Amino acid sequence: MRLRFVALLIGAFVFLFPFYYMLIGSLQAEPDPSVSGAFPKPGNLTFHNYAEINKAIDLGRSLINSGIFTGGVILGTLVFGVLAGYALARLQFRGRGLVFNLMLLIQVVPFQLLTIPLYVLIVRSYGLADSYLGMILPFLINSTAVFVFRQYFLQLPAELFDAARIDGASEVSILWRVAVPLVRPALLTGVLLTFIGPWNEFLWPFLITKQQDLQPLAVSLSNYLTTVSSRATNPFGAVLAGACVLAAPAVTLFVIFQRRFISANLSSGVKG
Amino acid sequence: MRRGLIGRLLGAHPVGTAFVTPYVVFLAAVFAYPLGFAVYMSFHDYFFAAPGAVVERPFVGFDNYVTVLSDPAVRRAFGNVLIFLVINVPLTVVLSLVLANALNAAIRWRTFFRVSYYVPYVTASVAVVGVWLFLFNSNGLVNSVLGPLAPDPSWLVNSGLAMPTVAIYVTWKQLGFFILLYLAALQNVSRDLYEAAAMDGAGRWKSFLNVTVPGVRPATTLVVLLATVTGANLFTEPYLLTGGGGPDGASASPVLIMYQRGIEQGNPDVGSAIGVLLVIGVLLLALIERRFVGKEES
Amino acid sequence: MRLQAGLLAIALAGSLAACGSGGGGAGDAGAAAKARGPIKIWYSNNAEEVAWGKQMVAAWNAQHADQKVTAQEIPTGKSSEEVIGAAITAGNAPCLIFNTSPASVSQFQKQGGLVPLDASYVEERSGDVAQQYKSPDGKYYQLPWKSNPVMIFYNKKIFAKAGISNPSLRTYDEFLATSRKIVASKAAKFAIYPAPSNEFFQSWFDFYPLYAAETGGKQLVADGKATFASDEGRKVAQFWRTLYAEKLASQEKYTGDAFVDGTAAMAVVGPWAIATYKGKADWGVVPVPTSSGKPAAEIHTFSDAKNVAMYSACQNRGTAWDVLKFATSKEQDGKFLAATGQMPLRKDLATTYADYFTKNPDYKLFADQASRTVEVPNVPNSITIWQTFRDAYSKSVIFGQQDVGAALDGAAQKVDQLVKQS
Repeated sequence: MRLRFVALLIGAFVFLFPFYYMLIGSLQAEPDPSVSGAFPKPGNLTFHNYAEINKAIDLGRSLINSGIFTGGVILGTLVFGVLAGYALARLQFRGRGLVFNLMLLIQVVPFQLLTIPLYVLIVRSYGLADSYLGMILPFLINSTAVFVFRQYFLQLPAELFDAARIDGASEVSILWRVAVPLVRPALLTGVLLTFIGPWNEFLWPFLITKQQDLQPLAVSLSNYLTTVSSRATNPFGAVLAGACVLAAPAVTLFVIFQRRFISANLSSGVKG
Repeated sequence: MRRGLIGRLLGAHPVGTAFVTPYVVFLAAVFAYPLGFAVYMSFHDYFFAAPGAVVERPFVGFDNYVTVLSDPAVRRAFGNVLIFLVINVPLTVVLSLVLANALNAAIRWRTFFRVSYYVPYVTASVAVVGVWLFLFNSNGLVNSVLGPLAPDPSWLVNSGLAMPTVAIYVTWKQLGFFILLYLAALQNVSRDLYEAAAMDGAGRWKSFLNVTVPGVRPATTLVVLLATVTGANLFTEPYLLTGGGGPDGASASPVLIMYQRGIEQGNPDVGSAIGVLLVIGVLLLALIERRFVGKEES
Repeated sequence: MRLQAGLLAIALAGSLAACGSGGGGAGDAGAAAKARGPIKIWYSNNAEEVAWGKQMVAAWNAQHADQKVTAQEIPTGKSSEEVIGAAITAGNAPCLIFNTSPASVSQFQKQGGLVPLDASYVEERSGDVAQQYKSPDGKYYQLPWKSNPVMIFYNKKIFAKAGISNPSLRTYDEFLATSRKIVASKAAKFAIYPAPSNEFFQSWFDFYPLYAAETGGKQLVADGKATFASDEGRKVAQFWRTLYAEKLASQEKYTGDAFVDGTAAMAVVGPWAIATYKGKADWGVVPVPTSSGKPAAEIHTFSDAKNVAMYSACQNRGTAWDVLKFATSKEQDGKFLAATGQMPLRKDLATTYADYFTKNPDYKLFADQASRTVEVPNVPNSITIWQTFRDAYSKSVIFGQQDVGAALDGAAQKVDQLVKQS
């Protein structure tokens, strides 16, 4: 028992250390690459690096844009992705195999292969340049999330569904009342997975929006990282501060929701 | 099972068609055209032109594929990604299952541990790469700690170590997500089975092997598949971490080469050929893996 | 099964059809050439250039209410070529981009994305330098706008710490001796720190400036053949090989700015960096070295120019052309120089803006150097050629895994092939 705790502790150290280092580095007035640089020194600490970012980009506006972009994707994935995942796992209908294979295929295709044809399609055929919709569209339903949903619906015992069907419940109500509550951790996993993509995505929103007031945080920050930060008094610190600003909202949200990823009474729910 | 349903028009649950329709429309509207287009490009002498520009794009058969396959840089990139997968996939599966199992138990600081393992996954690569560069360069913290044991040339500029370092970086970065998948799966392993195993006198290790591992098999299929797919599409890490696949192409990945040839150098036909080959390769790998790992479908 | 397949087919047909009909973007070129009206332009996101761009647009708009210019920033460096390439394909490129990389011009031209410009204005403004920017078909698809002739910056404090008061950096031997002294004295970790990564453009800031100097102004490719597998090319490559082999330069990518951080005592950069170094490094500047130590007045270097191009998606090309002339007029070029410290590609730069250079003697040297700059060759497959060169250079010079001469020969053969393809 103690061994496990110590092992987990060492593991946690390995996982957290780079972030600690990132935070310390972003607070340093002067970069310090030595071993002692890993410990905070009161004389060398400052919020200056953050002040410079705040000066260079409109954080509020960027955050709102990120929120709209990510929110749209999560909504799309939760509504349409859960429907598709459920159907693929629990319903027998024509074309199920085809849809499943399509879903697999889409996951295997590297996005870089599609970037430019997709750009042309969305800008020229759909006329969605410089709009939130154009930004959201390619990510609207996350295929990996659909796959995850399907996998967890598949794990639920078949008797549950048979019983509900015999009671005459419609598929929509079975999905909503029986299946969804049981796979809540999987849903949250799906949301997390879906969240990461658009939140950190840089190239696509950048291609699709030239107007700065539409650009999400990842775009304005990487813009800042490539050009503006070299002017900062401590360029390395500025880069790390940018990294922290991008990471903070995602980490915070995760910390808030992390309890809900695991539902402890699930197995009893399945049994009952 | 489906075989018996062929006679009926829409299957046992026609409502399923309605459920998947939005998703299918989405796939068709967003992916079908670019994907078909990529395949089309790979068989033509193709380049992107402005609307209205008159250009010739003759059909060239397998020419682009020949170009790609006779290019040592491309072959090396495919080899690199295999090295990557051999390290990354088993490591990911084992570590995430073991850690998930440990985190699933009632231990002190559980919240803290969970959060710490997920943080790398949540953070953008662009953000973390800077720190890793700092940690793993020749005078970085890792080498200072290792002292005389530090490799020379250092990690990311050593042609033997660059790809393994990238593989370990990606394992570290993605592990949180896979732990999450396993944690969710572990909730579905019935307590009764553990109790039964304990009655039979199985120790903790035995019950892990005999109850946990088979109990989460569907999740393992998922983890293996997803790890393979994300690994095969490796791009950001060699692009940022090893300065474009260095040293001397030792950490170049197919997607990186595809990006260089297709987008930077303006030969989308060649880039598409690489992409199509990669997709075929990954599909084959996925099939093999499903044969070995997954038996959930029966 | 059939239903989904049908849906797919419909969607596929729909999007293909939409693509086919959306092809009218370019319109009638003759009419467009004279048309006037509002236009869009893009400029780089470098802070000083943005400041200049804003005042230029404001000045134009104040006089031309009916031909309003709207301006946006695009990134410098890595992703701007991708963005422009995608915009050309989609037909939504702006009229003018004040950040067009000469290395991309051949590709954009092949895509049908560029409009040829009036040669007489280009040659009148830039003089002889203009010739390097002419495309193989004899037309100008770019207006040579501004250059950043790269030179060797050195950190005076680090040099003093190493006991060097009057740096001698003219010949390779002197340069190497100075470098060894700096590293041996531990005044700085490295003598010089060009980015050792594998991006195609990195050779512009290590091999190419020295090669331009060594050859007295030769381009990487001339008359359809690679020139670098020569004695001069080998000397330059060998010089860098020595720096890497003796660990005077680092093989590792650096986060941040090695020169500003004091990790490296020298840097290969253009005058744009002066604003960056302000208050952070006490610098001096010398021309790039040559094997024989040519006098400063004979040294050529890489121009690191960014140009203005007009894109074929532009409807109001009459206005675009007027804006282009307005933005590159003597007055606006002067403002650009004052705001950014980068050198407008005009003939007689030093005399035209004599006032500025008296007031800012730091920049005088760059103005002299600007008349002897070498551009990337304007040939088909330009970026592939640079990547081919970079791969060979990285393998042999940076990582020492192949003989330098053999690597250059091998790359030259491939480059000869690439130049022939169109």
